[in-house]
Amino acid sequence: MIGLLSHTLVGQTVQAPATGCQVTPGKVTGLCQAFNSLHIPVEYRTILPLLVLSIGALVLLVISAVLPKRSRPGLYPLLTVIISGLAAGASVFQWIDVGNHAATKAIGNQIFYDRFSVLFMLLISVATLFGALLSDSYLQREGLDGVEAYVLMLLASTGAMLMAASAGTIMLFLGLEIMSIALYVMTAYHRRRAASGEGGLKYFILGSFSSAIFLYGAALAYGATGTTQFDEMSVFLARTTLPNDGILLGGMALLIVGLGFKVAAVPFHFWSPDVYEAAPTPFTGYMAAVAKAAGFAGLFRVLLEGFHSQEANWRPAIWLIAVLTLLVGSVLAIAQRDLKRMMAYSSISQAGYVLIGLQSASSQGTAGALFYLLTYTFIIAGTFAVIGLVQGEGEARNDLGAIRGLGRRRPGLALVMLLFLLAQAGVPFTSGFLAKFYVIAAAVNRGQYALAIIGMLAAAIAAFFYLRVGLLMYSSPEVDETKEPTDGAALAGLRPIPGFDTPREPALSQGPGAVAASSDGDGAVALLAPPEGRVEIPFTVGITLAVCAAFTIFAGVSSPVLDFAKHATTYF
Amino acid sequence: MTVPGAWYLVLAAILFGIGATGLLVRRNVLIMFMCVELMLNAVSLTFVTFARMLNDIGGQASVFFILVVAAAEVVVGLGIIVAIFRRRPEATADDLHMLKG
Amino acid sequence: MDQYLPIVLLLVVALAFAAGSFAASKLLGPSRPTGAKTGPYESGIVPQAPVAARFPVRFFLVAMIFIIFDIEVIFLYPWAVIYHQLNTFGLAEMAAFALVVFVSFAYLVSNGALDWGPVKKLARKAPVNLTRTTTSTVRRVPRPDQLIDGMSPRPVDSEPEPTAEPVGAGAPEA
Repeated sequence: MIGLLSHTLVGQTVQAPATGCQVTPGKVTGLCQAFNSLHIPVEYRTILPLLVLSIGALVLLVISAVLPKRSRPGLYPLLTVIISGLAAGASVFQWIDVGNHAATKAIGNQIFYDRFSVLFMLLISVATLFGALLSDSYLQREGLDGVEAYVLMLLASTGAMLMAASAGTIMLFLGLEIMSIALYVMTAYHRRRAASGEGGLKYFILGSFSSAIFLYGAALAYGATGTTQFDEMSVFLARTTLPNDGILLGGMALLIVGLGFKVAAVPFHFWSPDVYEAAPTPFTGYMAAVAKAAGFAGLFRVLLEGFHSQEANWRPAIWLIAVLTLLVGSVLAIAQRDLKRMMAYSSISQAGYVLIGLQSASSQGTAGALFYLLTYTFIIAGTFAVIGLVQGEGEARNDLGAIRGLGRRRPGLALVMLLFLLAQAGVPFTSGFLAKFYVIAAAVNRGQYALAIIGMLAAAIAAFFYLRVGLLMYSSPEVDETKEPTDGAALAGLRPIPGFDTPREPALSQGPGAVAASSDGDGAVALLAPPEGRVEIPFTVGITLAVCAAFTIFAGVSSPVLDFAKHATTYF
Repeated sequence: MTVPGAWYLVLAAILFGIGATGLLVRRNVLIMFMCVELMLNAVSLTFVTFARMLNDIGGQASVFFILVVAAAEVVVGLGIIVAIFRRRPEATADDLHMLKG
Repeated sequence: MDQYLPIVLLLVVALAFAAGSFAASKLLGPSRPTGAKTGPYESGIVPQAPVAARFPVRFFLVAMIFIIFDIEVIFLYPWAVIYHQLNTFGLAEMAAFALVVFVSFAYLVSNGALDWGPVKKLARKAPVNLTRTTTSTVRRVPRPDQLIDGMSPRPVDSEPEPTAEPVGAGAPEA
């Protein structure tokens, strides 16, 4: 059923030219006249990765309908990996193709075919590949194996790609909804975990609220400029001085709010920790990479292409949002005792740096932001891969204690996790350092010294909790738990903070750790003992970890990836 | 006498406001759904009004997409609700209090 | 405003009729309420709580599927209007669109979403353990009066104890 409606939406995107035509009799626009010629006017190569993913999702559905249930456990993830690999290959082809030809608009002027969109298509393909690799072992462990997870993932990626390639607010909205609807279901995917359904519903309500706000903004912008296309908007606004631009500014503000929800920028971030905690762990990692990247792609398209001439109006707003996002994300992450919630606040704070790049409104800022998103995809996939391993069956242990002593139990795993944590903290010789460095340099070049300083300050605050998790991995599992919180400043942040650390319902998860967590939630601060037993690393997860770690180091010490991002700033 | 376009815009804004307020205030999940629908339909009205005022078909074409997306969204939402509330007596948002922090 | 006049008139008539009906029944009808009259009728038993109206999830499912397939048709209208301009291309695109819808339909059918009629047991039953009977699960405890002198008038095992058996604890003794 779910596959049905998302498929339908994918079908519509292909249909877009048909409905975009002038239907008044005797008054046919040029767009429709183009259809009269015999050659097909849809340049399919411009949406090649989208086609690969959506057709791949259809193929998966057909296979699942034909094969008997649960016939081959590893078949669907394998196919998903192949499909997303093909999509990545298609994006590489597009990258070369755009280099040879000029960037164009395609498919009834609804799609931008430029390196900016191609970079996002590559990023999203890779994130989908990691998502499929990580989901395989997780879903088998939780007994949730089935074709739906992979179909939803492919469809969400299709929507995200459409957002990055959209040339107008309506296509952006369609992409946003294709992605979001799939993500709502993915969040609620864990049938036996009550928190999963609850998080899915919360995500759904707040997500559809933000979609409606975004759409109202699009309607107001349409009313003010007379078009939904970004380039036409930009031309109109550069040529015309509106006598009364209240509608335009209102529309712009609502568009920023709507997309701000999707990237979890701070005044609109409330859904994020709940959803990150609720969603199955590999999906959380996928979501953190793809939804955020697609949301930012939309923000860049709207603000840097559609409202380029309105810079003076939106840059202060983005400045404020960036500052709030950086500070609130970093500070609240310290108060968290749940690994996934902590990563949610961490990813909020990371989004702040991308906002710095956006606020710079320069090609350097865009390059920095793109590099940031690209490297973050690998870092976050690796981080959630480790969390998925240590949390144990049924997501019994998501608390910080689950990771304690990992350095002794699995030294290799702990080392890789440490690398990802250091990269997020922005330590030199990791990709995270270069990413932070470039967005802050872009801000400095535009004279935004205050923003640059706040960015560095937030990095220092954030380093505290990343290092705390790092230290925890190498602390001894046998430490006296009652003395734990007092014997070092590094652990002071674990003290429960009113309003942030309410006692948990024991029913949240059925693990033994959860019950203990609820009993010590209101007074005594004690980290639970790490779970018994050896952490097994499945082959697929091991591969993902190795690739992510290698990329994090590679992008941190050499420049090809950054050059890649720099080339993608040439807009249509 | 014809009604000026601005009135429709104001009506749409009021409907959107009612929907947004309802979503934030009401606690019944189904009514929250209806509020989302109200907001989306208010947007549709805005699009159509602007399309009429600007004499441009693009705004009307947008409504097609909004309609379908709204239907898809509400179906997924109902699916999630049915999945959650099969074991619960009432569809009230206050019952959803597991995730905090 | 002339064009709206009939609507306004209709509205006024409707309101007047509704108000008139209420007023007439209040004024003309005899009203002698007693406790027995105002109470809800339920086979002579006073209801303890409002009965929860539950109906199968299957209804929701079919309704949701209907909404989606129903709304698809919206895209056929603009296509039909400019069908002649779109020509072969339009036909091909609509065929692709129909194919996408059909694939999701095939998925629904294969998952049994449209199976109607007698409800099939979708969940597999728990395997029945044949060794688990009342003799193996219910421990027979002799009554205290039977324990006097350590002798009982009849064998304990033969005594029927229907209340001691948990409901549905297992298959009845053969």
